[in-house]
Amino acid sequence: MSTVVRQLRDFSVGAALCILIASAAFVGVRNRELATRQRSLADRAAAEIAEGRTLPDVRAVIVGPATPSPKRPYLKSRQISDGAGWRPLTATAAGASPDDKLFYDAATRYERETSARSPVRRDGAELDDDATILLPDGSGRALAVRPIANGLAMALTPPARPAPYPFLVLIGVLGLGAAFAAAGALVGGRAARLGTTAGIAALAIPCVLWGSWIAAALIALVGLGLAFAQGANLTDRFAAGVRGHKTALGFLAPAAVSMLVLVLAPFVIGLVLGFYDHHHGTWSFVGLHNFGEILSGGGRALDDPLNFWFIFGVTVLWTLANVAFHVTIGVALALVLSRSWLRGKGVWRMLFIVPWAVPNYITALIWKGMFTGEYGAINSVLHVFGLDGVSWFSSWATAFSANVITNTWLGFPFMMVVAIGALESIPKELYEAASVDGASGWQRFRHITLPHLRPALGPAVTLGSIWTFNMFNVIFLVSGGQPGGSTNTLVVDAYRWAFERGERYGMAAAYGTIIFLILLLWTVFGSRIVRSKGAES
Amino acid sequence: MKQAPRAHVQILIYVGLVILCFAVLYPVMLVCKKAFEPGTQFALSASPIPTAFTLDHFSQLFTERGANGELLFLRHAVNSIVVALLTTVVGVSLSCTAAYALSRFKFPGRKTGLTMFLVVQMFPATLLLLPLYVILNKLGLLNSVAGLVLVYSTTAIPFCVWTLKGYFDSLPRELEEAARIDGASPWMIFRRIILPLSRPALAVTALFSFMTAWNEFIMASTFMTNQTKYTLPVLIQSSVTEFSADWGLFAAGAVVTSIPVMVAFYVLQKYLVGGLTAGAVKG
Repeated sequence: MSTVVRQLRDFSVGAALCILIASAAFVGVRNRELATRQRSLADRAAAEIAEGRTLPDVRAVIVGPATPSPKRPYLKSRQISDGAGWRPLTATAAGASPDDKLFYDAATRYERETSARSPVRRDGAELDDDATILLPDGSGRALAVRPIANGLAMALTPPARPAPYPFLVLIGVLGLGAAFAAAGALVGGRAARLGTTAGIAALAIPCVLWGSWIAAALIALVGLGLAFAQGANLTDRFAAGVRGHKTALGFLAPAAVSMLVLVLAPFVIGLVLGFYDHHHGTWSFVGLHNFGEILSGGGRALDDPLNFWFIFGVTVLWTLANVAFHVTIGVALALVLSRSWLRGKGVWRMLFIVPWAVPNYITALIWKGMFTGEYGAINSVLHVFGLDGVSWFSSWATAFSANVITNTWLGFPFMMVVAIGALESIPKELYEAASVDGASGWQRFRHITLPHLRPALGPAVTLGSIWTFNMFNVIFLVSGGQPGGSTNTLVVDAYRWAFERGERYGMAAAYGTIIFLILLLWTVFGSRIVRSKGAES
Repeated sequence: MKQAPRAHVQILIYVGLVILCFAVLYPVMLVCKKAFEPGTQFALSASPIPTAFTLDHFSQLFTERGANGELLFLRHAVNSIVVALLTTVVGVSLSCTAAYALSRFKFPGRKTGLTMFLVVQMFPATLLLLPLYVILNKLGLLNSVAGLVLVYSTTAIPFCVWTLKGYFDSLPRELEEAARIDGASPWMIFRRIILPLSRPALAVTALFSFMTAWNEFIMASTFMTNQTKYTLPVLIQSSVTEFSADWGLFAAGAVVTSIPVMVAFYVLQKYLVGGLTAGAVKG
């Protein structure tokens, strides 16, 4: 193959990657610019309306405080003034516009957030927090809210479209880069690799113009890496590999590409987000701060339910307790249900796997209902046996037990079915031979049954421990972390950081990374144990 | 093992099994009782036998209307069916060729690929929940069927790849070899021989993907915040929050949504165990 064609092949692969990087950089810069511009416009307009003036194109209003309806105090209403006097702010009133709901919700949200942040500011006089957000509906409108004497001044900017994607610029630098690369290849030798680097580096030019230095540096790295790969003949070997396995790769492509897009991309983004802090819709880079805060326990006492090590301990305990119960109950039932004299085996089996068939969120909610209340189902059963009722979710031990009981109910059938399968595959002759040799029941169990159960149970236990570690619904829906978040496990706590504690996405992402590392260690480590056990038997 | 134990031991074991069975089925019986018993409290007595009978909870479930007068249950059921169906179609169609490649071809990275699909299947969906939420939020795909289908596909595809690969492994290779000698291309072999032969496996895999999507709760409740976009699990959960708990409505909803998947589970459970353990053993 001619050197120029080869060179252009390598260049196009590298360029495709770099175009992705440059596009991401462009979109990021463009969105940031748009947000800054719109937000400052909204800010200015809100300041103006507070003074009674307006800016052209910007819709500015004053929203009055929420007043309870005289008849039904839980229904609140607000007044709105847009220069032409006050009118009620409702969806049905005359003169209502689609933006009215936006203003109403923003006022409610603003008051909730400011009062939540500092209860001292409830009196209104101290309310000096300005809130300006870019609306999350993709219209590019920004909404500014600032407190004034008679309510909240609000300004809503007109929609704005972000700058268009710079096709021409990118096509231009692509052509320039290709020319560099081809020129290098024509000269040959070391110049070929120099041409590759220069060609790829051409794509960094627009990134530099947009002020996105990270993207430019990444592109430069790609260029150097590609030149190095060419030098070591890696690109040729890779191309030969692809040609040799064309069919296989073609068959694999749909699933592989969708996995790259749907799993790998979010996964990498999740890793990156762990290095950022998210506050009021803006991200700021904080390095390893989140990880430090998590792993040091964030200065909290070890028995604080927000301390990572406390949650980790709960999670380990949760996994161990559940797997132990699943395996014991499952194997015990399997031993009984595989007796040759037992009648109605199929029926017993069907009945005992009912818990597996019920969707697990329903299971969790059922048990939640059974545990809840002084006269709940579980307490009623305790009363039948003359025991006192328990307030299940008010102490750690009982709340944790409630979770474990629920999850045991839900999980033992899997182990039972696996164990029955393994037991049925044991040749009957082994037991007969053992009986002839005078082996006792225990000896037969110890030396025939157990070694045959192990190869099947090993993977099942690894799988079961991972499922239990990851179990979200039971903890989230049964105890809900009560009391005081002390029964949360790692996955539940990560969720709460993201969606229940003021959108701390960065913390949640860092949690996700740590959970991933723990699971990775466990799968590598766990499958080792399984394999060595398998080799023994 | 060979000789049965004495009669009274046998009876004892049967009694033990009956008690245990009752304990295992008790929660299910309570829910069925609640579905047909008036009142919103979960249980006021330990007895699983209803004292009064009503169909009010079901009629309430089916006739409840949303803000715009639409029937909520119907709307949510349609959402659930559409999401689960699309997930199944995406999962099976994207993964069947990959499963075949992983089962039949030798190529560098095959083992890594298999491990990747297995690992992805094992890692918690909640791990990807946050990045997916951030991305879908940026793309404006929250509260959309498409967004939820994309999210569910992250688990459906690896699952389908592994189960289908297990089945393809068990197919004899002679047919393919004969076809190859007759000059059939790999794609023709896959289309004309493998796919028709694997119809049962495709059906089973599809049903499992459907059930998984149908039963998923936390993703749906995070991504679908608009009430008209709820799926059935979110609807059912929202009937028993801390603030207002209508356990009668919950029980009726639970019965209606669980029965179809439970029937499917019983029909298919032997395939599920085979697939799961085969994946774990060979991985």
